Amino acid sequence: MQDFLLYTTNGLLLGVIYALSALGVSLIVGIMNVINFSHGELYVLAGYFSALFARGLGLPVTLAALLAVIMVFIFGLILERVLLRNTYGNDMASLIITFVLSIVLQNAYLLIFGPYPQKPPGWVTGSTHLFGLFYYGNQRLAALGVGAVVIAALFVVIKKTWFGKTVRAVAQDREMAAMLGVNPTMVNMLSFGTGCALAAAAGVILSPIFPVTPTVSVGVSLTAFIVVVLGGMGSLTGCVVGGLVLGLVQNLGAAYVSSGYKHFFGFFILLLVLVVRPTGLFGQKQL
Amino acid sequence: MTHRWTQVFSVVLFFLCVGFPFVAGEYWLHTGILCLFYVMMASSWNLLAGYTGQVSFAHAAFAGMGAYVSGLAAIHFHVPPLLGVFLGTAVAAVLGLLLGILCIRMGGIYLSLTTLAFSEMLRIIVDNEYELTRGTMGLSVPFLLPAYSKTAAYFLMAAVTLVLLYAIHRLVRSDLGTAFRAVQNDETAAASLGLHVVRIRVVAFVISSTIAGLAGALYGHYHQLITPEILSLNLMFQVLAMTVIGGLGTFAGPIIGAVFLQFLSEYIRIYGQIHVLVFGLVALAVCRFAPEGLMGLRRRPGRLSPS
Repeated sequence: MQDFLLYTTNGLLLGVIYALSALGVSLIVGIMNVINFSHGELYVLAGYFSALFARGLGLPVTLAALLAVIMVFIFGLILERVLLRNTYGNDMASLIITFVLSIVLQNAYLLIFGPYPQKPPGWVTGSTHLFGLFYYGNQRLAALGVGAVVIAALFVVIKKTWFGKTVRAVAQDREMAAMLGVNPTMVNMLSFGTGCALAAAAGVILSPIFPVTPTVSVGVSLTAFIVVVLGGMGSLTGCVVGGLVLGLVQNLGAAYVSSGYKHFFGFFILLLVLVVRPTGLFGQKQL
Repeated sequence: MTHRWTQVFSVVLFFLCVGFPFVAGEYWLHTGILCLFYVMMASSWNLLAGYTGQVSFAHAAFAGMGAYVSGLAAIHFHVPPLLGVFLGTAVAAVLGLLLGILCIRMGGIYLSLTTLAFSEMLRIIVDNEYELTRGTMGLSVPFLLPAYSKTAAYFLMAAVTLVLLYAIHRLVRSDLGTAFRAVQNDETAAASLGLHVVRIRVVAFVISSTIAGLAGALYGHYHQLITPEILSLNLMFQVLAMTVIGGLGTFAGPIIGAVFLQFLSEYIRIYGQIHVLVFGLVALAVCRFAPEGLMGLRRRPGRLSPS
């Protein structure tokens, strides 16, 4: 029972971060119809940046984390401008470009940072006695809390603000939105940047717990894709539910079946969902 | 290029292929064999991506499937490699059919995601089932031919490659090839003309996976060591980069791309793993500035592309 609760808590923590990371992919798919294969590399980049700012420049850890997210956001804007802008309407070109970009970034990290794990310092120390049963690291609890807050903030922005309405309008009908005076190019650029920033947020939250290396990115991208398909392409609620489901399945599966097959369970669920319900749990018919 | 020049070019190419092992040393012969493997992989991936517009990331996984099935059959059941190669190819074909039926009806992005998941699942299984596959240590398998000879292996691989290239060449000019392009250019129009879009896509996927399985099985027995590296995304990336740099959707593109990048990588390998980064940067630049690849440079500006 004690073990089960621990695994479940771990599953929930990862689930929230998976959801956060997948929201970035989902936003970009929903608005630009582009699957960003380099999502995981941006997560890793944020981890490197926050380690660099905190250890190298000696900035306070939270400021370093925030700065890392902003840097990745700007990097995302540049990527959209330089690589993706002239591929709109050609799904295959953007698919190939982001896939190649992911390999380029992985090898660049290997060259610059080496294969060694990099870890930014934690935000908090110590641990808390949970449910009167086991000790749980405060850093993990903080990650869970911050992740949940960022997700809630994103929902408010998308549902309530002017920017959110514009974005939803473009996602629904690009030409109509353009006719009503929305600048779709600007919306594309900002949403790609925001999607990258969400990957970065997941990266800075998790990297003090799980250090980043050039190769963890593949797992991050794949989990984000699984969550997006699980929840339904373009559905934000689906992302949150899909993230939690995947986090729980992976952790309980790793604990009770086999840890080597941890990621296997995710792929298996993906295939299963695609067979039974290709539009995902909350997906619409289109796309 | 006119028909006559194509013929002359083919004959010259044929003699270059035949003459190569007599002038090349051991090292360049090995590079030549790798080139043949990549030509098969890139050409078959191009058949799928370049002619039907579906991006599969499971191509390396199918090559790995061919290699492992044939290798395991040789080790556990003493199947001669030349027979095992057929077995590996057949398994890759059946798996390709199943995966194709499963995910092609869902289209574009879903195919890419499913094939990516499939290929990672396969890698996890091979890594974890140590007793069967020897994990990352790799599986030692017998040589392709009864007696060890690099030159003989080269000729066998070259013959298979030429036959495959001829078959692909005929295929893309046949009715089926026209159907491939029709489906890529306008799915709705193709369907309204009575073409069965899903079936055509599945056929392309199966043909492409089968060739990958064959190439992988031959490569595994030539190398005599099969590691999970063969079904990794790194190999997938190399195949993709070769096709894209050479020219997606052209017949000669993947051939030129594969030979060019393979020889290039031999020259820059001395700087370590940097060749992957260089390939990537070149591929990105090509995607951005010359989407038609090296083959596109041949065309004079202002002239319409033939396809």
